[in-house]
Amino acid sequence: MSKGKMLNKKGQGSKGFSLSLSQQRAGLGYLFISPFLIGFILLFITPLFQSLLYSFSNLNVTSTGYTLDFVGLTNYNQVLRVDPNFIPSLITTILQMVTKVPIIIIFSFFAASLLNQKFKGRGFARSIFFLPVILTSGIILSMETSDLLLSSAQQVAEEELTAGAMGSGLQFLQFRQLLFSINMPPMFINFIVLAVDQIYEIVIASGVQILIFLAGLQSIPLSLYEASTMDGATAWENFWKITFPMVSPLIIVNSVYTVINTFTSPDNEMMSMIQSTIFSQSKFGFGSAMAWIYFLAIAIILAIMSAILLKLVAKYQQ
Amino acid sequence: MAVKVKRRTPNRSLYGDLINILVLAGFAMFMALPLVYAVNNAFKPLEELFQFPPKFFVRNPTLDNIRDLFTLMNSSWVPFTRYIFNTVFITVVGSGIHMFVASLAAYALAKHQFPGQKLFFNMVILALMFSPHVTAIPNYLIISKLGWLDTYLALIVPAIAAPLGLFLMKQFMEQIPVSLLESARLDGASELTVFRKVALPIVKPALMTLLIFSFQSLWNMNGGTFIYNEALKTLPTALQQIVATGFSRAGAASAIALFMMIVPLSVFIISQSNVMETMSTSGIKD
Repeated sequence: MSKGKMLNKKGQGSKGFSLSLSQQRAGLGYLFISPFLIGFILLFITPLFQSLLYSFSNLNVTSTGYTLDFVGLTNYNQVLRVDPNFIPSLITTILQMVTKVPIIIIFSFFAASLLNQKFKGRGFARSIFFLPVILTSGIILSMETSDLLLSSAQQVAEEELTAGAMGSGLQFLQFRQLLFSINMPPMFINFIVLAVDQIYEIVIASGVQILIFLAGLQSIPLSLYEASTMDGATAWENFWKITFPMVSPLIIVNSVYTVINTFTSPDNEMMSMIQSTIFSQSKFGFGSAMAWIYFLAIAIILAIMSAILLKLVAKYQQ
Repeated sequence: MAVKVKRRTPNRSLYGDLINILVLAGFAMFMALPLVYAVNNAFKPLEELFQFPPKFFVRNPTLDNIRDLFTLMNSSWVPFTRYIFNTVFITVVGSGIHMFVASLAAYALAKHQFPGQKLFFNMVILALMFSPHVTAIPNYLIISKLGWLDTYLALIVPAIAAPLGLFLMKQFMEQIPVSLLESARLDGASELTVFRKVALPIVKPALMTLLIFSFQSLWNMNGGTFIYNEALKTLPTALQQIVATGFSRAGAASAIALFMMIVPLSVFIISQSNVMETMSTSGIKD
C-alpha cells in the first residue's frame, strides 16, 4: 500500500504541468488503477512469469532454496510427445466444458429471471440458490472430503449405485429412445441426455452465474418496462426487447467466468493431474509445462468463444 | 378518435406465482440438502453421527455438540475468540479495501482512455485463467521475501488484488452512460466525486455481489501456508485442526461447520435485501 501512496503523489504532482484534457484524463486513469495494479503485478503477474521460467528448466530443491537448470523445450516435448495421459485428458476436459457451459448459462439465466420476479419468499429462494457457492468452497468442502466416515459411506453408496446402475441405465436408454422416436436430431438428444444426467453438477456450478445475472437484471431501470407496457407490450415482448438485450453483455461475462471456473476447478481431471505432478511427484518444471499448455488451450478457447459471442451480442443490441 | 383501451390483467397472477415457486422449489431441493444435513449434524448426539448407514435427519437432538464446542473453546491453547477475531478482521478489512480498489480500477478501465488499458485488462483475464497450483510456490517465495509471513498482510493483500473483482466490476461499469458522468463533471464534480456519487450507486447491485464473493473467499481463507503463529491463525485453520483430532471432536466440528456456513449466508441475505431498484441508467441512452 505504501507504494500506492507514492504513486498517488507523483500523479498529483504532474497536475502542475499544463497537460491537455486527454492527458489529464489518462493520468487520472493511471492514478485510479495504480493501487490495484501494484498488488496485482506483484502477486499475480510475477508468479506467472516465474512459473513460465520454471517450465523451461529443471527445478532442484536444495537446502538453501532451489536451483534452476535451463533445459529448453524438453519439458514441453515430454508433455506433448511422451506422456501418454496428457493429451487424452486435455481433450476430455475440453469436451466436457463445451457441453457444460451452454447448459449452465441457460439454466442460470432462467433461474435468475425467475428469482428477479416479485413473489413471496423471494429472499429465501435467493439465499437457497446461493448456498452452493458457500458449500462448494473452502473448508466445508475439504471437511467433507477429509471426513473418513463420510468417504467410507460414499464408497458403499457408490458400490450400491453401480449395482443398481443396470436398472437406471435401462431407464436412460428408454428416455433416449423416446427422444429418438420423436425424430430429434442426435446432437440435441445427446445434449438433453447430458443435461439430465448432470443436473446436480450443473445446478451446483451455477450459483455465481445466477448472482451475476441477478445483479444485471436488478440494474435495468423499471421505467423502461413501464414505458413499453404503456405502449402495449406484453410481458413476452418486454422480455425479448428489454430484458434480454440489457442483460446480453453479461452473457459474455458469465460464459468467460464459467469456462474459467470449470477449467480451474479442483475436481477437474487436468487440475488434479497437474497438482499431483507438482506436489506428489515434485516434478515442478514438468508440471509447469503442463500448466502452460493447458493455459494456452484455455486462452484459445476463450478467445474464439468471446469473439463469437461479441458478434452475436452486437448484432442483437442493434 | 375512439381509442379502445384494452384492460390488462396484472402480469403476476396467482397461477404464475404457483408455477414460479414450484419450479424454483424443484431446483432448490438440490441446493438446500447439504445445509439441511449440516444443521441436522450439528444437533446429532455422537452415536448418531457415527451411525452406519448415516441417517439424514436427527432422531434425538441434543445441544451436546455446542456445549462441547464451548469446552473446547475454553481449553484451547489460544483463546478461541482469537481465531474468530482473526477471521473477522481479515474478512472485513480485506473485502472492504478490495471493493473500493477494484471498483476504482474498474471505473478507470471502463470510462477512461489511456495507453496500456487493453493490455492491462487482458492480463487480468489471463491471471484469472491460470491454475493456482502452479503459482503456489512462486507466490510463497514472494510473500516471504516481502517479509509478510506470519502477518495479516499475507492474507489481506492478495485478496485485495484478486482479479475476479476487477473483471466483474468492469463489465458493470461499462454500462453506465457516459452522458451521466459528463453532466456531473460539468457541474464541477471532481473525478473522485463522480466515481463515488454517480458511478458507485449505479452499480450497487454488482457491488453487493462483489461483497459476497470477497467475503466468501476471505471467510474461508485457510492461511496455513503463510501463517504459523497460533495466535494469528484463522478460523478455518482452527477448524481443520479440530477435525484432524479425530472422532472424539466430531460433534464440536459439526457445530463449527454450521457456524462457518451461517455467517456468509446471513451476509448474503442482508446484502441482497439492501439492493433496491437503482436509479440506473434513468432512460438515458448513448
